[in-house]
Amino acid sequence: MLSRLRSLLYLLPQFWRMLFTRPVTVRYPFAPLKLPSYFRGKVTIDPELCRGCGMCARDCPAFALELERESRDNFRLIHYHDRCAYCGQCEASCNFGAIKLVNEFVPAAPQRDTLSRVMVRRDNEEA
Amino acid sequence: MTKITIPIGPQHPALKEPLSFLLTVEGEQILDSALRIGYVHRGLERICQNRNYVQNVHVVERVCGICSHIHTTTYCQGVEALLGLQVPPRALYLRTLLCELERIHSHLLWLGVLAEYIGFTTIFMYAWRDREIVLDIMEELSGGRVAHAANVIGGVSIDADEAHVASILDRLDVLERQIKLFLDLIRRERSFQARTRGVGHLSAEQIRRYCVVGPAARASGVDVDLRRDAPYAAYKWLNFQVITAEEGDVWARTMVRVLETIESLHMCRQLLTELPAGPLTVRAPRRVPPGEVVSRTEAPRGELIYYIRSDGSDRPARVKIRTPTLTTLITLHDQLAGVHTADVPVVLAGVDLCIACADR
Repeated sequence: MLSRLRSLLYLLPQFWRMLFTRPVTVRYPFAPLKLPSYFRGKVTIDPELCRGCGMCARDCPAFALELERESRDNFRLIHYHDRCAYCGQCEASCNFGAIKLVNEFVPAAPQRDTLSRVMVRRDNEEA
Repeated sequence: MTKITIPIGPQHPALKEPLSFLLTVEGEQILDSALRIGYVHRGLERICQNRNYVQNVHVVERVCGICSHIHTTTYCQGVEALLGLQVPPRALYLRTLLCELERIHSHLLWLGVLAEYIGFTTIFMYAWRDREIVLDIMEELSGGRVAHAANVIGGVSIDADEAHVASILDRLDVLERQIKLFLDLIRRERSFQARTRGVGHLSAEQIRRYCVVGPAARASGVDVDLRRDAPYAAYKWLNFQVITAEEGDVWARTMVRVLETIESLHMCRQLLTELPAGPLTVRAPRRVPPGEVVSRTEAPRGELIYYIRSDGSDRPARVKIRTPTLTTLITLHDQLAGVHTADVPVVLAGVDLCIACADR
């Protein structure tokens, strides 16, 4: 009898403590969410540093990066948000440090075809 | 009494995982069960053949949504063996650290699921609340809660400085207090014992016949653990105990898993305090010489096997994944025979199924 009662009462101190602690849930989206510095969010590419080598497009497991090249100094690098898995492989594969996955959420879009973006465009005609 | 056939799944409130059962019941007693799987088959092994070795690290990470890191560890370990790479010790330690954190998170998640199935919502809430501590640590280390992308062929892409290590150690202490509370609770709580003792029993002989691995095997007294038997990554430098139990029912599996969580916490502490200095990666060539390799690790649910064959190009010719859940699925027919219908969710939760792993 006593052990049965103890088994029932055992959690009571925990319950009592929980009454005076803050909720463990976060207030997002009403308050900003604190993200760790390593968080892999939006893909940004610095067009100054990009040389159009295509390493990122070759290593992307989701085929979210496409390099359209016409000549050495004439290429476009397109990023498809909707295919991107935010794995960070493009950042690791880039030898020039042009790609960064920044600490930022990617907003939703009403239509899928609005999600592709030309990140780098070089239209220099060869001399 | 007439026999009735009840379909359960693939979408069912008593079963979160997408698998389907046909249960033949007589009154409350289950006479027979027929299992059907394959609802979340994604053809990942075939996808692996169409991508290069670097891309595949991220493909195999998506085999499972709970134990994603162990899949990349097994894959990278296999490719590194084919390439003949020596991974630096710091990378091995960080790899193992994430493996053990993942085991803690997987076992706590499982404890919550089991508690919910037996109607003990308090443990479910507490276990999932405390699991957030581990998920936060993993997110800080790698940048993702589940998809860590921490492994690369030849090392790891994550690092932890001294301040970070200290903060992780502090939080592990909090977590250990909470897990000890669960352990105490499970040992004392009568309703928990009433629902789990004697349910889903598997004898050591059955375990050997079905080749069951992981905590389910250890709970039936079969002492198998790859971390000790064939140490990989940094396990050969660690000091730990393999937890076993004799009873072989859901209760024993609960005890094994909760005790294993505490053991994993001790391992995490060892890994963090003894973290060696040095480089994080070695340079890996893109083309892998022809050959084949079998890579084995101890995932949270048991032994995970990867078979990788290379034909000398930058893409694998074959990647075969044998997940631990596959071995436990076969035992469900034996476990379900004779139990009451109300105990079906407990039996299913007790073996810790991961159908996404098994279907791939």
